[in-house]
Amino acid sequence: MKKLALLVAVIAVLAFAAAPSARAAETIKIGAAFALSGSIAVYGEGFKKCIDLAVEEINAKGGIKGKKIEIVYEDNKSNPKDCVTAVRKLITVDKVPVIFGPAGSSNFMATAPVAQENKVVLISAQGAAVGLTKAGEYIFRVFPSDTLQGPHLAKLAMSKGYKKVPVMYVNNDWGLGLKNAFVDAYKKMGGTVTDIIAYDEKKTDYRTELLRASKGNPPAIVNLTYINEGAVQFKQAFEMGIKTQWLCGSAARAPKMVELAGKAAEGVIGTYPSVPQNTKQYQAFKEAYKKKYGDDKIPIFGDYNYDMVYVTARAIERGGYTADGIRKALPQAAKGFKGVTGDKTFDSERSPKFAEYGIWVVKDGKIEDYKK
Amino acid sequence: MDSISYYLQTVLNGILAGCIYALFAMGLTLIYGVLNFVNFAHGELIMWGAYFLFLFMGEPFGLPLYAAIFPALALTGCLGLAMDYSVFRPIRRANRLTLLIAAMGLSVFLRNAAQFFWGAEVRTYGLEVTAGMRFFGLYITAPQMAIIAVTLLCVAAVYLLFFKSRLGKSMRALSDNLDLARISGIDTKRAILAAWVISAVLAAVGGILLALDTNLSPEMGVINLIKAFAATLIGGVGNLWGALLGGMLIGLAENLGVLFISPGYKDAVAFVIMVIILLARPYVIIGERSD
Repeated sequence: MKKLALLVAVIAVLAFAAAPSARAAETIKIGAAFALSGSIAVYGEGFKKCIDLAVEEINAKGGIKGKKIEIVYEDNKSNPKDCVTAVRKLITVDKVPVIFGPAGSSNFMATAPVAQENKVVLISAQGAAVGLTKAGEYIFRVFPSDTLQGPHLAKLAMSKGYKKVPVMYVNNDWGLGLKNAFVDAYKKMGGTVTDIIAYDEKKTDYRTELLRASKGNPPAIVNLTYINEGAVQFKQAFEMGIKTQWLCGSAARAPKMVELAGKAAEGVIGTYPSVPQNTKQYQAFKEAYKKKYGDDKIPIFGDYNYDMVYVTARAIERGGYTADGIRKALPQAAKGFKGVTGDKTFDSERSPKFAEYGIWVVKDGKIEDYKK
Repeated sequence: MDSISYYLQTVLNGILAGCIYALFAMGLTLIYGVLNFVNFAHGELIMWGAYFLFLFMGEPFGLPLYAAIFPALALTGCLGLAMDYSVFRPIRRANRLTLLIAAMGLSVFLRNAAQFFWGAEVRTYGLEVTAGMRFFGLYITAPQMAIIAVTLLCVAAVYLLFFKSRLGKSMRALSDNLDLARISGIDTKRAILAAWVISAVLAAVGGILLALDTNLSPEMGVINLIKAFAATLIGGVGNLWGALLGGMLIGLAENLGVLFISPGYKDAVAFVIMVIILLARPYVIIGERSD
């Protein structure tokens, strides 16, 4: 009898303990497996700021059908293994139907099959790698694929009269994908690639790689690099007296890179999926960001993260708060939606159908749009 | 750049990398010699040393570089002592696996602590980037000359300390046989404390030089530690000259390797050397020392 009483008591306690989580279910939870520590936490902190801004705005306007959005952040530690752990935790413990995926194409691509198998929607706001969404119909991105960027970079090299270039790239899914897209397009345009140099991320010393790339004093070197890696490389190239025109992709285009590299980054140019800044959407975003954080240094890809929240919220509103509902509603929710980063209509690969590319240049310590 | 200076520049790059590895390896090997375990938290001493300098150069101290170096080194020395006092001293007689795991845990803790204080973003000391000076077709910058000069100085200082002073003698005695040293009336506590301070200061010197030459990030220690570890293995663990030699060898091997194989395999050079040596001498990590 005593045992039974105890059992009842335990059940009662458990029921009470469970009550708050029942209340918590009234919020709309979205998972975010972000780099909050590790090598690319530089990006993660900026994404989080922009996501929080969008969530705050949507919640202030009454949330989604009266329910507030809550983002469950999970640190992915910037490496593929812990990205998978983070995504698994969000799926099994937090039971979210939709997750904002990790940055870094290799990281994202490690988690995509997990989300696909568990039938949970996974969205990327900065994955540019060519095959990023190939894992299946639950995987989306609001950032344009490098299939589109490679030819633009090749065109840039040709238009500046560089018909022979060595290519350096960071050895991961993003670097490799863009390198292939560039080399294919460049060769078709009649260009010659003199050397291909893959290098690892996170190194502190790239001197010998740079030396090899600069053999024969090429007038231009294509370097598909990141923020930290780019900063170290431009600095070391400058110190070693390597004088060349650097041609980069989108991932190095960050004020942080210029801050780290100082005057060594002066004159670096590159392509990037451009976001027209004169639209009223962009201006409103910039204003809101400044109001919340006190500066107008919009973090790299922050605008895409901001749009991702809105597109997802629209899909939840239309399709309901289930993974299948969101997956089916996403294409309609995005169709014709004019976000901060432009028209977010998806193509058949669940990637943005439209993308404009601009050319960036480092001038007087600032990143500007390149004018011929 | 003609082809001779092309190769010479690569050799110089290798020497620069080697100096940094050697400074790290010397501290690592010293603790191994005296306390007989691999301090996997050594990388965090490297990183904290660099960040301490960043601390003293920034607000509210705002010291110039040359003045900020001394408190930064002193504080890193204290951190070394604190590591010993709080973690390693209570388990001094524990088996190696316990020490190894404790060191790894400490490493993660210190790395996250640095990230808590300074954030995960990469930082610099904010010094102006300057083009290197040209000697015989080779480019070398002021921080790089400092790397070579300071490494030589450290090696000389450690040599004098180790082979010409009583303290050094007691450390070497400890390294040979802890119990015998104790019975012979050597102040083992003092020698152990000295070993921690020297190891931490060497780590800080290396870390600061590395950060001056490149950047600061919470990961800077752990990334380079594995190379330092390989260097100590090559040189024979517990052997200071070996650490210097091992560091240089790895620096040169990986840089010269880049000219011939894909640079994507740069790290592989160090790892291959390390694996071969571990296969030949596995007792370094898991087993007992031969004595």
